[in-house]
Amino acid sequence: MRIKKRGAAKRILGRAALDLARKWRQRVLLRWAVSIAFVTIVEPCISAQKGKPQEYEVKATYLYNFARFVEWPATAATVKSDAFTICVLGQDPFGAILDAVVAGETIDGKVVLAKRVLKLQDAVSCRVLYVSSSEESRLKEVLAALDKVCVLTVSDIPQFSQRGGMIQFVQESNRIRFEVNLASAEDAGLSLSSELLKVAITVRRNSQPGD
Amino acid sequence: MVSDYSISKKLTWMNMLVSGAALLLACGAFIAYDVASLREGMIYNLSMQAQIVGFNSSSALLFNDPHSAENTLSALKAWPNIVSAGIFTPDGRPFASYLRGRDGRVLTLPPILQGKTEIYRFNRSEAVLVRRIVFQERETGFVYIQSDLEGLKVRVAQYLGVAAAVLATSLLAVLLISPVFRRAIAEPIVHLAGIARIVSRDRDYSVRATPTSDHDELSVLVDDFNDMLSQIQLRDAALQQAHGELEQRVAERTRELSASNKELEAFAYSVSHDLRAPLRSIDGFSQALLEDYADKLDANAQDHLQRVRRAAQRMSALIDDMLSLSRVTRCELRREKLDLSAMAKSIASDLQEAEPGRCVDFVIESGLTAVGDPQLLRSAMENLLRNSWKYTSGHPTARIEFCRSEENGLRPFIVSDDGAGFDARYADRLFGAFQRLHTATEFPGTGVGLATVQRIIHRHGGEIWAEGEVEKGATFYFTL
Repeated sequence: MRIKKRGAAKRILGRAALDLARKWRQRVLLRWAVSIAFVTIVEPCISAQKGKPQEYEVKATYLYNFARFVEWPATAATVKSDAFTICVLGQDPFGAILDAVVAGETIDGKVVLAKRVLKLQDAVSCRVLYVSSSEESRLKEVLAALDKVCVLTVSDIPQFSQRGGMIQFVQESNRIRFEVNLASAEDAGLSLSSELLKVAITVRRNSQPGD
Repeated sequence: MVSDYSISKKLTWMNMLVSGAALLLACGAFIAYDVASLREGMIYNLSMQAQIVGFNSSSALLFNDPHSAENTLSALKAWPNIVSAGIFTPDGRPFASYLRGRDGRVLTLPPILQGKTEIYRFNRSEAVLVRRIVFQERETGFVYIQSDLEGLKVRVAQYLGVAAAVLATSLLAVLLISPVFRRAIAEPIVHLAGIARIVSRDRDYSVRATPTSDHDELSVLVDDFNDMLSQIQLRDAALQQAHGELEQRVAERTRELSASNKELEAFAYSVSHDLRAPLRSIDGFSQALLEDYADKLDANAQDHLQRVRRAAQRMSALIDDMLSLSRVTRCELRREKLDLSAMAKSIASDLQEAEPGRCVDFVIESGLTAVGDPQLLRSAMENLLRNSWKYTSGHPTARIEFCRSEENGLRPFIVSDDGAGFDARYADRLFGAFQRLHTATEFPGTGVGLATVQRIIHRHGGEIWAEGEVEKGATFYFTL
């Protein structure tokens, strides 16, 4: 239909005095349409083709980005550390991706490091802790250990936010989004930027004990 | 009245032109300055909006939430001049967009920023600002805002309206104020011009320009003009007085002169008249002596008495000439056309009749006429011809000619002879009364004839002069 329109326009141009304005508008329209088509059709296809590695690349970036929208209390022990650590608890789904994402990055002038931890007591020294799906079974234990500790907890585990976790990744039609449990974060003394809350799917504000 | 119009019109036009030009310049400068500052303000506003939008969409960009970014962009509805806005990812892909209306369009790609935080461009109908979105010192995307220039155009239109109103009001004010200028400048000048015209037209130097109450160059001009008039008036009066005095003096002199002249003439006349009586006695008694006492007187005594008689007769002739000379100057001049040729012929025949023994050839050009007094001119002609007749008497044959020269513009009449002539050195003495170049024994005469001729010619407004050489004749020229 677009091509037909162009053909018609061409005929008009060929037949009579050329209408430059219309031609220009149509060209812009075409370009716009191409761009929209790219955003809505072509890009998701590329994402879909790449599959899982793409998903964890996004999640790795999100882990780093979450940190940029969170303020830790000045009294927290982790703040005094020279490095800004992003830890993965349990089986690591990121592989080298996380290291690549944080390589060379700094937050508040501190070098961002990616760490893998297995023991819960090691997790206390982290700023951000990604709880791997492998830890789903002992989630209650993990969250209890981190209660009132200034660590931003993030996980793929379903109902993670309802159960007392702070940020939970949610797959929503080819896009990765997240839920926030603001009460948990505030209990831990972390303050989350409203900008972050703005892009969250849901924000839980009332304190709910994990079920 | 035309000058009245023109000078006040000129003043009004001048004022209107000057104030109009000044206002136009001022309004132009203000509008230009305002447009520049409006554009600057507009760019500042766009930049602020771009910063806010950029800041508020950085989380949306970082967490890939175009919907949130579009929500942020939709806040731009509050500014009706924003046509469209858009957010792009750092690699240039469109991320979110805002359109004011259906007619709006989304810019495809923001122009590349080269190390700058933001750039903007203006064209005829819109302004576009592109800004880098930086979150925590990291580039997270681009935002662009496209705005129309309606606000700017409305402001410029308002300014133009205000400028036009100010201009119109000012020109009206100038029109209303200009009569004041006319009173102050044009009216004194017009008044002065009117006075000057009266002076030059009527030669009336008694008028004065009314002085102005101001103390400017115009009042100085009016005062000086009046001063000049006073001076001219004074000089005029002095001149007229001098003229009158001069005329009076001339009249006096003329009166004196004519009185003394008359006295002199009367004296000369009475002298000559009174001298005649004793002369007649001397001559008469000498004759009586010669006739009655011829037998008692010896030859010597008779000769002495003869001499007395001749002297007395000579003196009588002298007196006659003097009388005729004075008559020439006294008598009234009549003017009529005369045939000089005929006159010369009649005189010549008279002369030949008186002395038929002489062999003289008269050559007289015919048809020569002139306008003058018949009696006086006849006397002059007679004197001249008799003169020639007399001075040719020493020659056995002679030729006397009367003609008119065609040589120069004067065209003098000529009387010439081939007689005794005269020494050219004494030519100026020829016409003096009682002046003679020859002795009475050589040629008889009193020396009054040529003086009489000169007086007659002069009374006719003419000139007389003579050329001659001893024993080669003389030539007399005269004009009338």
